[in-house]
Amino acid sequence: MSDAFVSLQNLSLAYGKTVVVPDLNLDIRKGELIALLGPSGCGKTTTMRAIAGLMSLHGGSISIDGIDMSRTPANKRGIGLVFQSYALFPHLNAFENVAFGLRLKKLPKSEIASGVEAGLNTVGLSHLADRKPAEMSGGQQQRLSLARSLVMQPKVLLLDEPLSNLDARLRLEMRTELQRVQRDTGITMVFVTHDQSEALALADRIVLMKDGLIEQLGTPDDLYNRPETAFAADFFGFENIFNVSGSIITGPQGSAPINFKAVDGHLAWRPGAIKIGNGSHQGTVRGVAFAGEQREYVIDCQLGQIKASVSADEPAHEIGTSIAFDLPKAGALSILVT
Amino acid sequence: MFQNQREGLALALPAAIFTAALFLLPVGILLSEAFKVDGSWSLQGYIDFASKPLNQVVFLRTLKLGFLVALVSAVIGYACAFCIVNLDGKHRGRVFGLIVLPLMISPVARTYAWIVILGRTGIVNDAIVGLGLSETPIRLLFTETAVFLGLLQLFMPLMIISLVSAMENLPKDAVPAARVLGAKWLQVFTRVILPLTKDGLVLGGTLVFTGSLTAYITPAILGGSKVLMLETLLYQRVNVANDFVSAGIIATILIVMSFGANILLKRISSARS
Amino acid sequence: MTSTWTSRIIIGLTLTFLIGPFFIIIAAGLSAGDFLAFPPEGLTLKWYIKVFEVESFRDSFALSMFLAVFGTIAALMLGVPAAYALSRYKIPYGETIKTVVAAPIIVPGIIVGLALLRYLVVPLSFTITLALFLAHTALVLPYAVRVVSSSLNNLRSDMEEAAVLLGCSRIGAFFRVVLPNIQSGVLAAFILGFVTSFNQVPVSLFLSGPGVRTLPIDMLSYMEITYDPSVAALSALLAFMSVVIVFVAEKFLGFSRYV
Repeated sequence: MSDAFVSLQNLSLAYGKTVVVPDLNLDIRKGELIALLGPSGCGKTTTMRAIAGLMSLHGGSISIDGIDMSRTPANKRGIGLVFQSYALFPHLNAFENVAFGLRLKKLPKSEIASGVEAGLNTVGLSHLADRKPAEMSGGQQQRLSLARSLVMQPKVLLLDEPLSNLDARLRLEMRTELQRVQRDTGITMVFVTHDQSEALALADRIVLMKDGLIEQLGTPDDLYNRPETAFAADFFGFENIFNVSGSIITGPQGSAPINFKAVDGHLAWRPGAIKIGNGSHQGTVRGVAFAGEQREYVIDCQLGQIKASVSADEPAHEIGTSIAFDLPKAGALSILVT
Repeated sequence: MFQNQREGLALALPAAIFTAALFLLPVGILLSEAFKVDGSWSLQGYIDFASKPLNQVVFLRTLKLGFLVALVSAVIGYACAFCIVNLDGKHRGRVFGLIVLPLMISPVARTYAWIVILGRTGIVNDAIVGLGLSETPIRLLFTETAVFLGLLQLFMPLMIISLVSAMENLPKDAVPAARVLGAKWLQVFTRVILPLTKDGLVLGGTLVFTGSLTAYITPAILGGSKVLMLETLLYQRVNVANDFVSAGIIATILIVMSFGANILLKRISSARS
Repeated sequence: MTSTWTSRIIIGLTLTFLIGPFFIIIAAGLSAGDFLAFPPEGLTLKWYIKVFEVESFRDSFALSMFLAVFGTIAALMLGVPAAYALSRYKIPYGETIKTVVAAPIIVPGIIVGLALLRYLVVPLSFTITLALFLAHTALVLPYAVRVVSSSLNNLRSDMEEAAVLLGCSRIGAFFRVVLPNIQSGVLAAFILGFVTSFNQVPVSLFLSGPGVRTLPIDMLSYMEITYDPSVAALSALLAFMSVVIVFVAEKFLGFSRYV
């Protein structure tokens, strides 16, 4: 791509002899908010550390704004990183934490002071400038860490699991905050997460990774509605995945016919797509859980286990009762095996 | 973890080279000399050393005192550590500080007190004569008992500290849980506390035993030439007879015993679980 | 509750055994008689004063102070970087380096003194003072490494990475971010090293020459000749010095957790 701002080419990364990322190609556009998503051990954090320069490359190259940075030391890359643990300096107060990088640039005092003030303002912490990190809440520490990186006006801002240490309410607040900062500054952001809902909510594009390889790259809409692999489908909530050949689907326990024609490969349904109460399949309720608006069922059948979720307004089925269910064509996702 | 190996080595090597060149090398040469007779390698020095009755007595005495001090420290240490751990925060800190304190005081001063206590005109003898238990003061100094007491006072804090930190890591409800399940105190100790604190016991035991083996001041002041231990024997051999071969042999024995104690204790504790 | 009383008695007896003797020493040093006695035969401060008048005590005190201060500083200069490297870098033979640096704790001090005398002082004509300095540095080094390492291990290393990403060099990150946060560990290591070195006897047994003696060795030889209470007085003073150091260190650093 010609408009690539950050470009990873044939990137390979290793800890000692263990190769974590074998061969990664990724182009990130300027001003984009991109999510590296995947389960732990998929290489997303390693990739992020490599972009930051905290990890030497095993092979390939990293270039930023057209300049090859593969051998540039971390302190000369001009990249910001908000650590999962925030990594604030405990011996310095909020003001000095934010001033840290500016002082190293040997800027004049007045410039530092105004820069820090602006930075603290951006994240709404000006009133806590004298506090030490230990005297701040988790959310405040997170924002302080963000301000510390932002005042350096980095070319790229990396964020490691930015929301995972926050409780549900703060998470929403921080998410909004990040989107606002990104819109105001137009900064290119890459964030790492294992939580698909975070990636869906925040990112312009999502890079789904597995075993150091890109499983799928696309917009949140692409990944949520059109996952291209069984792994991607499972990650985005298609919990019922079966092999399909002709009109026969096969699960871990056995096979069953379906009443429509499908392309050979996989067929997948979200729990909400499955109809229960009537249909051509028969099973036994193994578990049922009330989840507010929904009731979630686990059903044993000849295919194996089926997860279904239906409106709580429908009458409940008790554990142990036989139940009919349907795997409808509408809501079925077809995945080609390549 | 940073990856730049050269940077890491540049930081770590000065300390390692310093210790290796100015410490381990001279000590190594000294130890190796004990394996030489008339310039060729031989175990004859060890055979001669082991055949002398005095050396045998001193060796066994050192071993015995080291073992006894470690054992008694462990018994008192468990009782004491258990009590300390059950104190509330403020008192616990204070008592712990008082236990640590003697370790920071010159062993000469610590040992010297026992001369005052056990000497011919010391308190103990005053009491014995005063109570009419004996006509004249009895000899308490320069006995194994005196050395034992001195060593115990010197090294017991190490055992208590090790056991206290082991017990602090004990799951808080382990003891009450065992009691609720009907265990008697002895069973609580052998089945719950002992297995869960064995690392502390191994550490404390090694420190106390090794400390007792290699202590010089206590046997020198409280044992004198009547109750020689390996360390005082070494000093005597060198000072009186310029006998560097014996010195090397005793040194090797002390080092082997220290390591041996540590390995043995680890073995015993892992065999139990 | 009976268990509270039992526990108080156990702790009380243990502390009496561990600390009681020092009170006896203090009292013995106050005895007016010419020979060591307890209870004291009359009270006088003359032995406490005499301690300061004995010239060899003054000289050996100065030597012990010198060794304790500069030996510990040298040990920290070697030990802090080593501890940092061992906790932050993946270095080849890291375990071996750790063992080498920790070795002085295991080797009986008396052998160290003897070995240094025979192979450094005699053939290489090192002065006794230099040999003592080297020995004390090596002896304190393991404590320095251990205490500083435990401070470093309690400090998250991503802080240094954050500093580097903000433009610091690796060395700069150490001085700006790491050192300020392990200050109390380094100070505790200094105090522990100082006390260990100052009280050290076996290493110095063979490393003494005319006019060059550490204080504890000097006390030992004084005891062999004289039986007056001045050694008791000196012991009491040394104990008092340690108490003050530990008390201050405990108050400001929470020292006992580093021991």
